[in-house]
Amino acid sequence: MKKLILFLLLIFNLYAISLAQNPRSLIAGVNTKFKQVNNYEAIVVIKTEIPFIKMLPVSATIYFKQPDKIRIKSKGIAILPKQGIDDLLKTLADTISYSALYQGEELLKNVNVAVVSIIPLADTSDMILGKFWIDPKQSLVMRSQITTRTNGTILSEYVYGKFASFALPDSMTVTVDTKKFKIPKAVSADINNYNSSAKDPAKQSKKGRIILRFSEYKINQGIPDEIFKQK
Amino acid sequence: MFLRLTWLEIQKIAIRPRSYIGFIAITLVIFLIQLAMWIDGTSYIGFLTQNIEQTFLFEGKVLNGNLICFIILQTLIIQIPLLIALVTGDLISGEAATGTIRLLLTRPVNRTSIVLSKFFAGSLYTLLMLIWLGILALFLSLVVFGPGDLIVLKTDELIILQSGDVLWRFLTALALAYLALTLVGALSMMLSCFSENSIGPIIITMAIIILFTIVGTMEVPVFDKVKPFLFTTHMIVWRNLFESPLPMEQIRTSIYALLGHIVVFMGISIVYFNKKDILS
Repeated sequence: MKKLILFLLLIFNLYAISLAQNPRSLIAGVNTKFKQVNNYEAIVVIKTEIPFIKMLPVSATIYFKQPDKIRIKSKGIAILPKQGIDDLLKTLADTISYSALYQGEELLKNVNVAVVSIIPLADTSDMILGKFWIDPKQSLVMRSQITTRTNGTILSEYVYGKFASFALPDSMTVTVDTKKFKIPKAVSADINNYNSSAKDPAKQSKKGRIILRFSEYKINQGIPDEIFKQK
Repeated sequence: MFLRLTWLEIQKIAIRPRSYIGFIAITLVIFLIQLAMWIDGTSYIGFLTQNIEQTFLFEGKVLNGNLICFIILQTLIIQIPLLIALVTGDLISGEAATGTIRLLLTRPVNRTSIVLSKFFAGSLYTLLMLIWLGILALFLSLVVFGPGDLIVLKTDELIILQSGDVLWRFLTALALAYLALTLVGALSMMLSCFSENSIGPIIITMAIIILFTIVGTMEVPVFDKVKPFLFTTHMIVWRNLFESPLPMEQIRTSIYALLGHIVVFMGISIVYFNKKDILS
């Protein structure tokens, strides 16, 4: 009996390992989960923590429609990373444009996650390397790190709650590389500023964070295409 | 008597054609800026923010009445002192040049009252010009471009103020700008006391402001210690109203510096004018 149990456990583990080590199946799991969502609308509070930008959190509405339409509308001015919000699922969904590699397991926030790297097949792609920390049990991307030619490395971390079954996060933190911000005094008309804060160590940081907190999700309730037209 | 004197000075300012040059110039500059922004504002803003837009996206109405007003105030900060000095620099020397100052001094009023009445009349002129500036720059821009969050561009940082938090800042900024322009009026009046012609004090006032502004703008370490002592540094205290959080200490220091300069310039004017031999 013991031998039988050991044998069954061995078979189960081998099966689990073979499944986990297949990066394509991990990505397929994520894609399948997100494909349940044809469209969604949600309230998003955007908090900007960029060394050279001072602003209060801004409330906006985010609209998404499959396959890749996304729009964030806000009454005030919101600052968003150029990459990192919508390109995660867009990148993963285009399965023929990259090769995927399984890189092992890691413990991330007490969750065992599989680390999968993807390398684009086209030389012209802006993305050089994508790295995804995927929870294999829930088929959720917990963290992504995309290295691009134009904008350095974009690190996104996701926290899931009520809408985890749709792969929609409750919050998302995007960390980006920031370039030094400097415009000539003549252009900014910032004349006679003898208290320039350029030497402020906080402003010398080369990383910026944008935290998006989502709420009031409305999933698959239909969104007209006009919403996505830029005005 | 003092009020009557002030009223007479106001009338003198009102009948001079040059008093209206400032209003016309401000109106033209503001209309031109608003027209340019209406036609090509998006690309202008894009030029200013191109450094940031390599990494980030702006969502929302960036080009709005509040931003246009801020751009106008920044643009006019160098020109308005000239327009003020054009009138206040002439208040005493202009009368010396035409000879009417002797007639004025034959009346039974003391010289201090004459200087102060001219100063108050000049200050009222400054106030009217700023009110006109506020109406065109702020309220007209809000009507044409609509309200929205204000992006304040500094050389090394960007501040975004929410729409509802902007109006009081503009009104207070205009009040502080009034204090700064009153200083220009006091300076030009002081120079006017020393002069017998009307052009000299106007040109010297502008020369001082331009010189101090150049020293304040140049990023040369040797000037860094001098900058806090230049009154032009404190004249842009209104810009501090668009900081977050407000640098209260700096604002207070600048207000005291501006008031101190006004008192000193007017004090010198009064003392000198009281002792002056009127030979014209």
